[in-house]
Amino acid sequence: MNDEALWAALSSAEGNAHLSRARDGMPTLEWLQPAGWLEAAALLKADPRFQFDLLLDVSGMDYHAYGQVEWRTEPATRSGFSRGVYESEQPYCASWNKPRFAVVYHFVSTVLNHRLRVRVFAENNDMPVVPSVFSIWNAANWYEREAFDLFGIHFEGHPDLRRLLTDYGFVGHPFRKDFPLIGEVELRYDAKEGRCVYEPVSIAPRTLVPKVIRMDNRYLPDEGVS
Amino acid sequence: MIMQDSSFHRDGFVLTSLESLISWARGGSLWPVTFGLACCAVEMMQCAAARYDLDRFGMIFRPSPRQSDVMIVAGTLCNKMAPALRTVYDQMTDPKWVISMGSCANGGGYYHYAYSVVRGCDRIIPVDVYVPGCPPTAEALMYGVIQLQNKVRRQRIFVRGGAVGVLT
Repeated sequence: MNDEALWAALSSAEGNAHLSRARDGMPTLEWLQPAGWLEAAALLKADPRFQFDLLLDVSGMDYHAYGQVEWRTEPATRSGFSRGVYESEQPYCASWNKPRFAVVYHFVSTVLNHRLRVRVFAENNDMPVVPSVFSIWNAANWYEREAFDLFGIHFEGHPDLRRLLTDYGFVGHPFRKDFPLIGEVELRYDAKEGRCVYEPVSIAPRTLVPKVIRMDNRYLPDEGVS
Repeated sequence: MIMQDSSFHRDGFVLTSLESLISWARGGSLWPVTFGLACCAVEMMQCAAARYDLDRFGMIFRPSPRQSDVMIVAGTLCNKMAPALRTVYDQMTDPKWVISMGSCANGGGYYHYAYSVVRGCDRIIPVDVYVPGCPPTAEALMYGVIQLQNKVRRQRIFVRGGAVGVLT
């Protein structure tokens, strides 16, 4: 199946999703709320037009302070990279009217050799919930645990939604944009107690100011790579 | 007298103190426990491989802390790993030494301001030799090993004044 046929099939089956083509050319389905996504996922797996039998990855997204350009090198040479240091005063970009958290899936069909990206937004910003696709793709198991661990996105119906990467008893979700980079606790060995103990973090956060100021022309269309 | 034994004149003899002999033996057979945590471990392997060949220094990597004298903390020590590192260190038999290898193990390094990394493995275990670098070259680690050998050989084993002859 070629790309146009996939596009046509997706257009006819998108339902309450929004179909678009991303900048890299990959077809992208976007759900602004999780309702309807699980049924569509089953269809993407089973329908002979799609046959997305392989789930490549599941990533969490946090659109907190989306659109701020702090990581651009030239302005940051004056102000420094303060991300993760100070709470952003303006949590959302003015033009961002979608929910804060999203889950991005990438699929590939090994049968029909085509790919698809799906972005599902979680409605509630305080308690983001997205249905688990573990019952459809087994590969989602650890991916969803990872996204839960790092972003605090809950996957409804996941059989074993535990933390995957962070420390035992870790509090918080470190990939959220409002998580302080230095964290809340630090560890040291206490000889009296004979074990490692957690203490409130003792260092102060620091704004990283680049020492080398350079002209960042990587993204300029005219001057690009010469 | 034993000195009049003809074999002494024939074969010769060496005089040393027991302390020097033990220190020399210890320094020449430092068996490290394998504790590679990150990219430093690759340099550590390089150091142990054919070109630099730590075996020449009597260093044979052991998979068990019970058989080891020295621990080379090679890489980033995360909070989650720290209790395990301490357990392995506690399982090593005395006398034991620690080489902290690379910026991350020395003081957090690149991840000093990160939420999940111990800011130096000396917060968890006592360190004898710090090898700087990110990662240190195999030569640098070898230099650190030689420094540790010097330290081991300088160490006085018998406590003087008080408990004489007690191995520490």
